Amino acid sequence: MRKLRAWFFRLGALFGKERHDRELSDELESHIQMHIEDNLRRGMTPEEARRDALIKLGGIESTKESYRERRGVPALETLLQDVGYGLRMLRKNPGVTAVAVITLALGIGANTAIFSLLDSVLLRFLPVEKPEQLVQVSRRGPEAGSQGVPIFTNPIWEQLRDQQDVFSGAAAWGDMRFDLARGGEAQYAKGLWVSGDFFRTLGVRPAAGRLITVADDRRGCSGVAVLSYSFWQDHLGGAVSAVGSTLSLDNHTYPVIGVAAAGFYGVEVGTKFDVALPLCATAIFDGARPRLDNRSWWWLSTMGRLKPGISPAQLLARLELISPRVFAATVPPNWDVQSQKNYQKWLLTSAPVSTGTSGLRRQFERPLQTLMVVVGIVLLIACANIASLMLARAAARHREMAVRRALGASRLRLMRQLLTECLLLSTAGALLGILFARWGSLLLVRFISTARDEVYLDLSLDWRILGFTAAIAIITAILFGVLPAFRSTRVSLTAAMKSSLAVDAERHARFRPGRWIVASQVALSLVLLVGAGLFLRSFVKLVTLDLGFDRANVLMMHAEPRTAGIQPEKWMTTWDEIERRLSSLPGVLSVSRSLVTPVSGAEWDQYVHADSPNPPAGDAATTYLNAVTPGYFRTLRIAFLSGRDFTVQDTATSPKVAVINQTVARKFYPSLNPLGRFFRLEEDQGKLGEPIQIVGVVRNSKYESLREEDYACAFFPISQAPGFGGGPNFMIRTSVRPSAALSLIRATVAGVNKSISLQFDTLARQVDDSLVQERVLATLSGFFAGLALLLVTVGLYGAISYMVTLRQTELGVRMALGAAPGSILRLVLRDVVAILVAGIVVGTGLALLSVQLLQSLLFGMAARDVLTMALAAGVLSLVAFVAGYLPARRAAKVDPMVALRYE
Amino acid sequence: MGDKADVWQGTLALMVLRTLETMGPLHGYGIARRIEQTSDNLLSVNYGTIYPALLKLEQEGYVASEWGLSDNKRKAKYYKLTRAGRKQLEKEMREWGQATAIVARFLSPKEQSS
Repeated sequence: MRKLRAWFFRLGALFGKERHDRELSDELESHIQMHIEDNLRRGMTPEEARRDALIKLGGIESTKESYRERRGVPALETLLQDVGYGLRMLRKNPGVTAVAVITLALGIGANTAIFSLLDSVLLRFLPVEKPEQLVQVSRRGPEAGSQGVPIFTNPIWEQLRDQQDVFSGAAAWGDMRFDLARGGEAQYAKGLWVSGDFFRTLGVRPAAGRLITVADDRRGCSGVAVLSYSFWQDHLGGAVSAVGSTLSLDNHTYPVIGVAAAGFYGVEVGTKFDVALPLCATAIFDGARPRLDNRSWWWLSTMGRLKPGISPAQLLARLELISPRVFAATVPPNWDVQSQKNYQKWLLTSAPVSTGTSGLRRQFERPLQTLMVVVGIVLLIACANIASLMLARAAARHREMAVRRALGASRLRLMRQLLTECLLLSTAGALLGILFARWGSLLLVRFISTARDEVYLDLSLDWRILGFTAAIAIITAILFGVLPAFRSTRVSLTAAMKSSLAVDAERHARFRPGRWIVASQVALSLVLLVGAGLFLRSFVKLVTLDLGFDRANVLMMHAEPRTAGIQPEKWMTTWDEIERRLSSLPGVLSVSRSLVTPVSGAEWDQYVHADSPNPPAGDAATTYLNAVTPGYFRTLRIAFLSGRDFTVQDTATSPKVAVINQTVARKFYPSLNPLGRFFRLEEDQGKLGEPIQIVGVVRNSKYESLREEDYACAFFPISQAPGFGGGPNFMIRTSVRPSAALSLIRATVAGVNKSISLQFDTLARQVDDSLVQERVLATLSGFFAGLALLLVTVGLYGAISYMVTLRQTELGVRMALGAAPGSILRLVLRDVVAILVAGIVVGTGLALLSVQLLQSLLFGMAARDVLTMALAAGVLSLVAFVAGYLPARRAAKVDPMVALRYE
Repeated sequence: MGDKADVWQGTLALMVLRTLETMGPLHGYGIARRIEQTSDNLLSVNYGTIYPALLKLEQEGYVASEWGLSDNKRKAKYYKLTRAGRKQLEKEMREWGQATAIVARFLSPKEQSS
């Protein structure tokens, strides 16, 4: 307590310094006077008396000094002094300060932006109560170390919910996309099916009304809807009357009972839900095939909140204990015997899920980490620039340092002063950088969003981001500050006081580390250039890849019959009618429908049993399937190699036919003509389907993603593949831009049925969207490599200019003695080339060591790609050489008389 | 160096407090003179060191100061013991007594053999 009180006084003493000083002077003055009087009384002469009093006191000034040290907080006072002085110094060179601050702001801003993305995608906790208590439950095979799969059927979930005794609450949820529109263009809302205990388990509170409870989630329920806060605000203006109103989803109306708390976006990072419905309401959507009792419809994720005091080991043990009962009670009846046996051996397992679940995380974890390293290197390069700037300035302030040393400042004191200046710079950079980062990270989120998946991330500043930025600011200050501070305070007093060539020589020596700094910048930026080159080239390879189909001018239209209340048995004829009418529109070249559209990420695959000798079996017989209408190959411009296209004569009652691609022909019918041959699909429980005759062979085309290689694909007429909704995915090849034909197409569909809701996209964009990860990497690494190149150019230019200035006298003398401008040029360029060569050699080494880590992010090329490396080194050398050449030429042009007179 | 100064700082504070207790309110010069006299001039230190020590005691609340007039009608800053200072003095004297007793026991040659 006493200590605290004393500190309080000391801090207080920082103010009113003059008054305190005056009081101390008075006190000491009276002390001396009293002492003198005593001495006089003892018979000393006045001079003696005064002398004795002063000696006994031990000097007025030193007493004052030790008194002052005790009075205030010397460290704080010096700091304030340093800050004040630093600010004055920075203001004195506004140009240099601005360049340094902007450079730092770019570097720190880029780091903060990428980090805040990394933070919200990978690190941030779910916006719920005590997220650290949450675990996600998954299932795994009985073998040790087998991977957990976190998807369940509803029967498993119900068993788990009723059998478990380790969670204080358990929740299940599934995704759904609802159509809010009642016809016309579809207007989608992100739906969440939630179990009754979902909100209670997560500890989410209502912002209005109430949330779904166990009572709302009973079989046969009529359904209630809970809105997310943002949906409530954006679509309903946050009106209180929204609670109690109704909401139309896929043409059913539900009462809105409440709104979830603001900030609760759901449990999957990167998305946000709009509306939540109880699980029981799925029955209303599913109609004849409800999923609630379906034992092979995998659609639910589950989470539990651990009871207090349960250890992770206990949790796993309890889950494994109940696993046999859970799985025995939910065996899928349509599975074959062996599969059913395996099924009953499955085990429940769990993993902490405090940061939520995320597909976005899986997709962007590696790219974000890569970008984090990239921006880290950019910041290093920026630091190097500022370090050499500081070195140059240190050389210029060399005499100031010498004078201050001579006046008694310790070296440590001077270094502290210089580092304070650096810290001021980096703090300014960090503040500006946070602004850049706010703007940059919003841009980034828009960048990784696609038409299909709009990414939502909570990017609000949190302590982690601010802490990161603060740490970065301090580290950068140390990085660019220590070496210059160290060099510039090493002063030889005698040399400094002399003003001549000796000073120049010393300055030159002082700046020597500047070359190394620039060389390391060259090395680092080469690594960035190589990385960016690799990403760019593999992106270009993907974009220019032969897809096997023509993506240009194809409009995609997804039709939703449920909003129009069309019965499933009418779907096929409705789509046929729409297809017929669309194909006669002006500007429409051809129309087709399919179950799966290319490169959508969706797939339908089964094992194929071919009638050839020794056909592939098991996984080798996996074939990717699609159901299409006759116009499909024409619309996508997939070339026929032999045989025929489907026709209207291929109907549900005619013999089953199929078109296969080259890979199927090669794999299943090597050295045979596949036309006219038959194959069967393996159905559930190993049963074989009807024989299907091959009537055509087409060229390979991409099925699921651009990265796949020569998938085996087979196509069936939609008319012979019932149960797929008649193929509601239209593809329309237009002779004009697809958007130009849009209104005509919409009107035509409305002519068939006004209430059908439609969703449009283009094939080109679907392909583009599948490359979002690659595009982000290529664009951003390219951008940052460009930034690095710019920084290096500036750095090199500055460093060489400065070195030339330092050598001006020497160069002047040389020229006066008859050196030709050419030889002067060569002299300076020798420095430039030395720096470049050193940087490029080291950079190539670094690149060779590090690029291997990028292999999994590349497409169609080895990470150690010689061409990319050579190109990167070439570009860098060229730019850097020009940056060094300009000051060198200036040096060679200087008039020797001017150079000499300068002294 | 540092160690000695610390001991000196500690004991100086004790001496100041004791002096104020026996003499009543006193100015810095008076305290320094008194300490010197009490020690029979064995302790000869710079009078100046008394001021930071007084400041520290004041910051800790053991002494209070106010300006007054000396016997010779000279303006001087007078220090006096506060209640907390009195308590602190008692505590420190007790501790000091214990410490010297222990050290004395170690230094007494006869005790060692028994």
